[in-house]
Amino acid sequence: MGRTVGIDLGTTYSLIAYMDPQTGAPKCIPGPYGSTLCPSIVSVADDGKILVGDPARERLLTQPDRTIYSVKRLMGCGVADIQDELTRFPFRIDETSSNVIRFRLGDKLFTPPEISAYILRELKTWAEKYFGDTVDRAVITVPAYFNDAQRQATKDAGRLAGLEVLRLVNEPTAAALAYGLHKQKRGHVAVYDFGGGTFDISILKLVSTSEGDIYQVLSTNGDTHLGGDDIDNALMDVARREIRAQFGVELDRHGEAVQELRRVLIRAKHELSSSEKAIVKCRISSTQTYSREFTRTEFEDLIRPIVARTMAPVKLALADAKLDPKDMDEVVLVGGSTRIPLVRKTVGDYFQRAPHCELNPDEVVALGAAVQADILESGVKTMLLLDVTPLSLGIETMGGVVAKIIPRNSTIPASAQEMFTTGVENQTGIDVHVLQGERELAKDCRSLARFQLKVPPGPAGLARIEVKFLIDANGILQVAAKDLRSGGEHSIEVQPSYGLSDAEVEHMLEESIEFAEQDFADRQLIEARTEAEAILTATEKAFRDPRSVEISAAERRSIENSVASLRAAMAGKDYKLVRQRIDELNQATTNLAEILMNSALQTALEGKRLDDV
Amino acid sequence: MSVTKTQAQAITGSICWSCKAPVDGAHFCASCGKVQPLPPGTDYFGFFGWPHKLTIDPALLEEQFHKLSWKLHPDNFVRASEEERNLSLDRSSQLNDAYRTLRDPIARIEYLLLRLGLRKEGTTKQQAPPELLEEVFELNESLDELREARAEGGDVDALRGWLVEEQSNFKEKLEGVDAELQAVAREWDAALDANANDAARNALLARMNEILNRRSYIRNLVASVQKELE
Repeated sequence: MGRTVGIDLGTTYSLIAYMDPQTGAPKCIPGPYGSTLCPSIVSVADDGKILVGDPARERLLTQPDRTIYSVKRLMGCGVADIQDELTRFPFRIDETSSNVIRFRLGDKLFTPPEISAYILRELKTWAEKYFGDTVDRAVITVPAYFNDAQRQATKDAGRLAGLEVLRLVNEPTAAALAYGLHKQKRGHVAVYDFGGGTFDISILKLVSTSEGDIYQVLSTNGDTHLGGDDIDNALMDVARREIRAQFGVELDRHGEAVQELRRVLIRAKHELSSSEKAIVKCRISSTQTYSREFTRTEFEDLIRPIVARTMAPVKLALADAKLDPKDMDEVVLVGGSTRIPLVRKTVGDYFQRAPHCELNPDEVVALGAAVQADILESGVKTMLLLDVTPLSLGIETMGGVVAKIIPRNSTIPASAQEMFTTGVENQTGIDVHVLQGERELAKDCRSLARFQLKVPPGPAGLARIEVKFLIDANGILQVAAKDLRSGGEHSIEVQPSYGLSDAEVEHMLEESIEFAEQDFADRQLIEARTEAEAILTATEKAFRDPRSVEISAAERRSIENSVASLRAAMAGKDYKLVRQRIDELNQATTNLAEILMNSALQTALEGKRLDDV
Repeated sequence: MSVTKTQAQAITGSICWSCKAPVDGAHFCASCGKVQPLPPGTDYFGFFGWPHKLTIDPALLEEQFHKLSWKLHPDNFVRASEEERNLSLDRSSQLNDAYRTLRDPIARIEYLLLRLGLRKEGTTKQQAPPELLEEVFELNESLDELREARAEGGDVDALRGWLVEEQSNFKEKLEGVDAELQAVAREWDAALDANANDAARNALLARMNEILNRRSYIRNLVASVQKELE
C-alpha cells in the first residue's frame, strides 16, 4: 500500500501536500521546478505525449490549439452551461458534445475529467519522486458550491489518475481546518475563498468538545463560475477593444497574440496588488505593439462589479446561518484573488474586521486536505469536519414543480425517503426526475438524473416503492429503491443528466491501460531495433572477413535472406517480429560464427547476443 | 450520483449483527463495539433516546449531536468493512436528519404530527383563518394593484408603502400564532408527563395541527408580499 496525500485541484494551480510525521504539520510537495504550484494546464505534443504544468504553460503561446487551461470551469458541465464562457475562453468544443463536453487538442478528443486526471497524475508523480514510494490514495478538494455532477466529475478524474479518492472535501472547509490548527481559535469563522475560477463563502462554527475539535459548517454559498479568470477577461475586454480602435485588428480567439496579451495582463494584475500602476506591452504583429498603463484606481473601477458579485452569496450564507456580519470571530481569506487590495477592503468593510491572510492563500487548501487525508488514513481522529450540502435536493412533481426533499445547508451525510406509487391502472413505470437547486420549477434547477421505477401492471396505487436519497460525505447523491410490498430491493437504472456514466469511466480506464500497453510496445520496439542494428553491423563485418569465403553459396544466400527479412521487420512496428527475425539471423549465422571462432568477429557476434538477451 | 443497494433488513434486530450480543436499539454494540442498524420505526426523538416531548433544550441537542457525530461519522469507517461503512452512513445521515428537524421548533411539531399520522408529507394544508378573511382579501387586492401599476409603469411607491405596513402587520400575526403553538406544545409535554389519556392527547395534537395550517397560510402570505416587494 502506498502513501496518502491531499490534493487541491485548482482552476489555475494545483497542489499536493502530505502530513509530515516528523513535524506533525502538513506540507506541500515541490515539483521539478522547485515550486509547489503546478499550473493546471495540459498540452498534447505533436507525438501525442501529454505535458502538464510548467512545460504545458510554455506551449500556451506556441501551441495554443493543443493546450488547455482552466478546465475546472468545464467539470460536470454540459455545453449549454458554458455558452457564455465559450466567447471568452479558447476552448475548442467538439460538435458531438452535449451533456459531456468533449474538446479537441490536436487530433484527439478529451473530456474535462480526463484532463484533470492528467494534472492529478502529474502531482502524483511529484509526490512519488519525493517519497520514493507509490501514492495511491488521496483527499481531493472541490469548491463548496460544486453540484453533484461537478463533484462526480472530480471523483472520476481521481479514479482515472489511479487514485482511490478517500474523500472530496470542500475547499473553504479544508482552509478552515488548516487555519484552525494554526491558530487554535474557537467561535464563528467566515472563510471567503476567491480563487482562479470559483468563489465560495462558508460560515463555520469551531467548537471544542471533550472528544476533540469539531469544525461544523453552518452554511455555504458561492458561484462556481466566478474567479480571477473573470478579472483577466475584464482586462482582456478592455485591451481588445483598444486594440480594435487603435489598429483596427480583431485578435483571433485561438491565436498566439491573445495568449501573449493574456499573459502580460495577468502579470499587470499581479503587479497592481502591490504597486499603484502597471505597464502592459504586447506585440500583436511584427509592426504593431499595444502598450498602455493601468492605474490601480482604473483597475479597481473595472473589477468592482466582479468583486461585488461575491457579496450576494456572502449575505445569503450569513442569512442561512442566522448570523450577522458582526457575529464572526474571524474572517479568513483564501485563494489567489484575495491578494487584490480591493477584495480585502470590501470583505473587511463588510465584516468590520481585518481579515486574516497570514497563511499562504495558495497553499492553505492543499494543507487542509493533507490533514483530512491523514485523519482518514490513520484512523486517529483529532478533529471532525461536519460539512453541508450547498444546494437543495428535490424531485419533480406535477406541473414541473420541484418538491424539496433535502434542504441546502443540511449537514452531510443527509437522507430523505420518498414513497412512489402508480397513478393510473396498469401503469408499468414511474418516472423520477432528481434535481438540485433553489428555484421552484424543475426547468430552472440543475437536473441530476432521471430514472424509471418499473412496476408490474395492477390497479392504481397498488405499487409502493420507497426510494431513499442519500447525500454522502462527499456531497454526492446515492439512490436506492425498495419495494415495500415484497420487501425486496428494487433495481433502478439511473441516467445521469451530466457527466460520464460508470461505463464510460470504465472504458476510459481500460483505454488508459491500453495506452500504457502502447507505451510499453513502443519502448520494446526501440530496444529490438537497437539490438537488430548491432547484429546487422556484426554480420556485415563477418562478411568482410577473408575467412567468410569458407561458407557455401547456399549458406550465404540464407544469411542474406535473413538480413533482408530483419530489415523489413525493422521498418514495421511489431517488436515481436523484429525479435523473431533477430533469432533467425542468429540461427543462420551460427556456422559462420563457428568458422570465425577465435577471431574478434566471433566475440563480436556472441558478445552482442549475450549483451542484448 | 450513483445507485446503491438498500440495507438488508434481516440484520436489524435486538441482537448485534456481528457478535450476536443483545443490543436493544443502541448505536453501538456494548460487547464488540460495532455500529448497529437502526431498529425499524425509530423516530428522530427516539434516535436520541428521548420521549415525544416538544420542549428541547437547544444546547443539549447540539451537545448530543456533536457527541454522536464524533462516533458515527463515516470518517471513522474509511478502513472498515463495507457493511460497517454502510451502517455508519445510514446512522450518521439519520443523526443529521434528526438534528436538522428537531432543532427547528416548528419542524419538530410538524414532524411529530407526521409520525402520529395527523399530517401527510408534502401536503401542507393551508387554512385561511376566518377572522383574517377581510384583511387577506384587501391584501390580495393591493398585491394585484401593485402588479398592474408595475406593468403599466404607474406609481408604485404609495402601494409599496402600504404593503410594507401590511406585511409587518401579518408578521406580527405570525408571531402571535407561533406563541399560541408553543403554548399548546407545552400543554402536550405536560400531558405526557401526566400520562394523559389518548383523547386528551389527540385533542392537543388536533389543536396543533389546526394552528399549523393557519400558520402556513399566513407565512405564505408574508412570503408572497416579500416577493412582490423585492
